[in-house]
Amino acid sequence: MSVLDIAKGMGVTLSHLFKKPVTVRYPDEKVQIKARFRGRHHLLRHPDTGLEKCIGCSLCAAACPAYAIYVEAAENDPENPTSAGERYASIYEINMLRCIFCGFCEEACPTGAVVLGHEFELADFRYQDFVYGKEDMLVGVKGSKWQRREAAAKGQEVRVAFEAPGRPELEGVDY
Amino acid sequence: MKVTVNGTVLDLASGTSAIDAVFAAGFDVPYFCSQEYMSPIGACRMCLAKVGAPRKDRDGSWIVDDETGEPKIFHFPTMMATCTTAIMEGMVIDTLSQDVKDAQNGMVEFTLINHPLDCPVCDKGGACELQDRAYEYGTGRSRFAFDKRHQEKHHPLSDLITLDRERCIHCKRCVRYFEEVPGDEVLDFIDRGGHTYIGTLEDGLPSNFTGNITDICPVGALLDATSRFRGRNWEYDHTFTTSLDDASGSAIVVDARTGRIERVKSGLNPEVNKSWIDDGIRFGHEYVDHADRVRRPLLRKGERFETVSWDEAAAFIAERLRGLSGKDVGIAVRADATLEEGVAARALAEHLGTGQVDHAPRHGRTLVPVHGATLVDVATADAIIVLGDVSEELPALDLRIKDALKGVTPPPLLPHGVPIADLRLKERMPRASERLTVVAAYRVDLMRHAGHTVTVPVGGEATWLEAMTAVAHGERVDEAALAMSRADAEALIASWRDADKAVMILGGFVLASAAATAAADALGKAVGARQVRVPPMANGLGLEVTGVLPSHARYDYRHMLAGGARALLLSGLDPAQDPALAERLRGCELLVVHDMFMTATAEIAHVVLPAASGFEKDGTTLSLEGRYLPVRAAPVDGGEARDLTGVVKSLGEAFGQRLEGRSVRSARRVLRKQLGFEPSELDRLGLLQPLPKVRASVTVTTDEEATGEALRVPTMVRPEYLAYNPHLRAALGDPALRLHPDDAAERDLRTGDGVTVSVDGVPRRLRVVVSDAAPRGVPLVPATPDAPVGRAVVDLDALEVDRRALEVA
Repeated sequence: MSVLDIAKGMGVTLSHLFKKPVTVRYPDEKVQIKARFRGRHHLLRHPDTGLEKCIGCSLCAAACPAYAIYVEAAENDPENPTSAGERYASIYEINMLRCIFCGFCEEACPTGAVVLGHEFELADFRYQDFVYGKEDMLVGVKGSKWQRREAAAKGQEVRVAFEAPGRPELEGVDY
Repeated sequence: MKVTVNGTVLDLASGTSAIDAVFAAGFDVPYFCSQEYMSPIGACRMCLAKVGAPRKDRDGSWIVDDETGEPKIFHFPTMMATCTTAIMEGMVIDTLSQDVKDAQNGMVEFTLINHPLDCPVCDKGGACELQDRAYEYGTGRSRFAFDKRHQEKHHPLSDLITLDRERCIHCKRCVRYFEEVPGDEVLDFIDRGGHTYIGTLEDGLPSNFTGNITDICPVGALLDATSRFRGRNWEYDHTFTTSLDDASGSAIVVDARTGRIERVKSGLNPEVNKSWIDDGIRFGHEYVDHADRVRRPLLRKGERFETVSWDEAAAFIAERLRGLSGKDVGIAVRADATLEEGVAARALAEHLGTGQVDHAPRHGRTLVPVHGATLVDVATADAIIVLGDVSEELPALDLRIKDALKGVTPPPLLPHGVPIADLRLKERMPRASERLTVVAAYRVDLMRHAGHTVTVPVGGEATWLEAMTAVAHGERVDEAALAMSRADAEALIASWRDADKAVMILGGFVLASAAATAAADALGKAVGARQVRVPPMANGLGLEVTGVLPSHARYDYRHMLAGGARALLLSGLDPAQDPALAERLRGCELLVVHDMFMTATAEIAHVVLPAASGFEKDGTTLSLEGRYLPVRAAPVDGGEARDLTGVVKSLGEAFGQRLEGRSVRSARRVLRKQLGFEPSELDRLGLLQPLPKVRASVTVTTDEEATGEALRVPTMVRPEYLAYNPHLRAALGDPALRLHPDDAAERDLRTGDGVTVSVDGVPRRLRVVVSDAAPRGVPLVPATPDAPVGRAVVDLDALEVDRRALEVA
């Protein structure tokens, strides 16, 4: 290694001293997230009918390498259906502690019902609070369980500390 | 016959189908319509192959190919459906060439044209023949750009079976099944061409064997309603076990998920049930997961029960027993307990020093016939005499009898198992119904298939059997006792005598009576017929053979209840339905009930112990033909439920003793010595062993002949659990009181009326079914484990119509 190489290296370091820092004062300042970032799952609805896209086929659970998903299906009430077709998921649970956010569930889903969103602020205190059910993931629910609990306790809106451009798969999800 | 399959030369028996030759050679062809034990019809056109054979010249010599000098192979002009092609000497079958592949993949494309491909929501997905075959043999694309056929997607064929008409690929398996196997033609194709659909003109599917069509449907068109949307096929834990529903020893597969039994499917045991089971076994499993199950031991504190641990319950029992002499204790197990549980009961009795140990229900007669017949004997018999209602008592036997009427012997197994296409089987085969004689006191279902039917008066089996024996010996008899002319009787006897294999099947009505059993033995001896005795419950024969019997006939179950025992341990039995016995049992110093539900007896017990169902225990059972079969535990959440070995373990610990039979393993050490083989090594097909001679003095009790003009009749479903089986109950209704139309009209009763009627002094709530199967003046009520098949006293005039049910209606 020559003196020249050291100088070159120092030059790179020096040049960064004058650039704008990439560090964000999280959580006071919002993090900018890339479109393909994989965070907490969303369960989507058909935008026109409002019916759930999930048909309870359990293929996400089959594809899941971490065995994080549990699905139980039931038959739709024809008068008042939950999803299109005969079958819907009566129980849909993802254990966020087990989940490795690989996105296989999204790939396996034949109806595009489960899509990984951008939320990553999932820290919580008790094991059971990491098991997200339908009520925690259906489109329209913002924030992690803890964030929603906090917001409810303080009477405020759920505040997430990130901004994401979204992507077309996340139909109807608004950050 | 020499056959060449893709270059592999095989030597197969004449009559083998080409599809079996292909599989025997270790190759594969796709197929949807062929099915083991059913006729091949070549409906799906999937098993296409290029087939050729040498030809003989006029002089009888092979036509020789000039170039090779070998016999010349003349190929069929088109691809052949191998399932309907019989092999010929020198046949050459090709399943691997490009032509064959193109043909198969064209067929897949055709089959999928009208298939909805809704695999993600289909209960068959993951275990679907069409899915697998389309994946293996299809191209994965379709050129069909038009709208697919749209038909009803949720058509309830019955309360137990749902039909999705869009998914149907018209393989005709279900239609053929009903005609060929149970002989109940209830399904058919309706309409033609692309509009063809499966339908029935009946109300529901009136057959005892409807569920099998959900197993054989190659797509998700026919589905089990009890497991509809309950889970995907890859999520189930499959347990290959033996049904304890009846004594047939039918192989079943229990599919469980997250601690619940979601469905029961038929297993394959070629010598027992083939691949068919009845609806009672298939759909009667929901009670196992019922919310009302007793899941923890209960100890009586005053008027109430308190939930306790097993240790506390055992300590209480041990404490109470300390104050009693051993011989005051009675132990009775229900006759569907495993052999291991029997060992446990015996060990407990031995430790306490009591001879009062028994299983119930039990006929006073031994279940071991002098010359026994197996189920294969029944299926190959050329004369069958049935006494009773086997279709309900032991439905597997009903199907084996129908096999015998077809006259097709069970197929020999090939390297790949049961032949896929047995060419001897045809659609609408003639049945040799003259081989079958059915004798009963009421019209039973099997009579529709019998050439000779005899209706005897209630309790008249003994008289009829004695009269027939007299005819066989050439003695004088009253023709009224024969219920036919003497000449007919002589002809019938001659046909039994001339038969190569005559089998006599004794149902509960005969075995309940000492005179009738003796008369059946005499007739069997006179005509040279072997016997099948139908045990009242699954393991009745096993418990008898392994000696779960009182030390003396005087100490039997009935005696225990009548006051012989001051302390009682009852496993699965519910004698307190009888108010008189309930009063008696209230006086017991200790009443321990080991059961799954809060029965009438459990309500008055001191201790209630949660029992494991027949799906949750490991053990061994002995089927009616003397076949030892394994019972394996499915992963079911039964709370703290244990089988009887678990009860004995807890009690042993409370006594400070290590009793034999404290675990299945410990019980098996005893059984190994007693039976001479290792029960834990039994495979699914079981082990057929000659039955040991039974100590006659023990099994024959001196009971007086039953009286009464009503009959407790066997039912395919278990009436004691019907209330806990919502789907079966919706399909079949509550337990039925069948009445002759005139009897019903006299009392202004109609089908569906809820009534409370006293059966031998036991009040029972039943649903009236007006049926001409019941003779005039003979009400038919379902038998239960506590009131087994036989005669009963039912006073129709003291019958109470259920007001509440009427108000609801």
